[in-house]
Amino acid sequence: MNTILCIKWGDKYDRTYVEQLKNQCENNCSVPFNFYCLTDKPTQPYDVLLPTYWDKYYLEDRDFFWAYRKCYMFALNEDPQILPRIKGDKFLFLDLDVIIHQDLKYFFELPMDKPYIVRGWWNDTITVKSNFAKHKSTPINSSVIRWDRGQLETIVKKINKNAEVIFFTYPSVDNYFNHHWYNCWNEEGGFFKGFPKGDIYSWYKGNIFPEDMEKRKIREDHKICLFNNSAENNDVEELKSLWNI
Amino acid sequence: MEYLKFTPNLANDWKNALSTSEPYVFKRVMDSMNESQLESKLWLVQELVKLDIKPKRVAILAGWFAQYIVPLLYDNFESIEWIKNFEIDQDVKEISYKFNKRYKDSNKYQCSIKDIMMKSLEEDFDIIINCACEHMYPMTKFYEWNPELQDPLYVLQSTDDDQYDDHINCVKDEFHLAEQANIVDIKYKGSKKLPNGMTRFMVIGK
Repeated sequence: MNTILCIKWGDKYDRTYVEQLKNQCENNCSVPFNFYCLTDKPTQPYDVLLPTYWDKYYLEDRDFFWAYRKCYMFALNEDPQILPRIKGDKFLFLDLDVIIHQDLKYFFELPMDKPYIVRGWWNDTITVKSNFAKHKSTPINSSVIRWDRGQLETIVKKINKNAEVIFFTYPSVDNYFNHHWYNCWNEEGGFFKGFPKGDIYSWYKGNIFPEDMEKRKIREDHKICLFNNSAENNDVEELKSLWNI
Repeated sequence: MEYLKFTPNLANDWKNALSTSEPYVFKRVMDSMNESQLESKLWLVQELVKLDIKPKRVAILAGWFAQYIVPLLYDNFESIEWIKNFEIDQDVKEISYKFNKRYKDSNKYQCSIKDIMMKSLEEDFDIIINCACEHMYPMTKFYEWNPELQDPLYVLQSTDDDQYDDHINCVKDEFHLAEQANIVDIKYKGSKKLPNGMTRFMVIGK
């Protein structure tokens, strides 16, 4: 069974974002699917309470963008408190701030020898490799992840084993993934596989470096548009305006 | 310690390393070769020489290209048999091997891609050198991963310069560095203002 997951935590995105994402999925997915929102404040039938056991490792004073709560959803067979409620074998995670252009069926039909994550093709590979040790210029993006049940449990185990070091060292979950679960020197050789060029692009950063880097451009021939990591103050309003296009 | 021995073999290896580096790596190679980098390594070796130790197996944690520290150690300590550099950056490995080809070819130097805060070294060493403590989690985690190490001597350097994003673990001074790394038997501790304006702290001990 196919399952689409999202996460809502804190106040940046209100409930309308979850509803908007759910509507987008219903309008753009031709195969049956479950829908769940993992959240700190469950109010809807599709809501699932997120655990908090990693909160003690988060270092607020470092101002890191550590969206670590995302990783709880990888523990589908592990956490007896919340995750048995989540049904399905094929999982697709979507950030709340995405625009879906095309049928999500595509993602559920991918060959799953490896899990998939967004490969930000808008990144310059040379910059990515040059900044690897500086923990900057991460080429992957966890706004869309596709995995089969059990495929990402190893990540949860690794985080549980190394939580202090991981939360201390990496400025973001994407950077952590880049260091330990991707291989920017041998992109076919990493744990994650990147979604191919032409699937997912960034509203704020472009599409493919260097040939298609126009920002703030809708590309309806792609499947999903990302808005995350924009560092833009008005990104919420901008996204809302695009929902109405 | 005032200089590095610029021998014909070293010249040949360095020429090869510098002339074959990918352009995008070249700037980093240049950054690794400035006078402050050399000063800090000369300081380290000078203090080790004063302590009259006889190291055999040396681990360098996050040693970058290791073009200064490796020849300085081999030139000043006849007892050294093996140096291994643990790095996370895969570009470093190839260039490090070019800079240190004479040692690699004679099976005296190896560079391993490993995150030493999440994995064991899986070898024994009698000296552990970490000149990049500001870039990583405190050394106490390293001890947890390597309980089998036989009472090695630690040589640690760090800084209070927190203007860089990747300086995630700066310390106030050498006392703070020793305390954070739980070095109780201190053989040497000191600080040094480098030509680039950065103050570095060093602690040698167990």
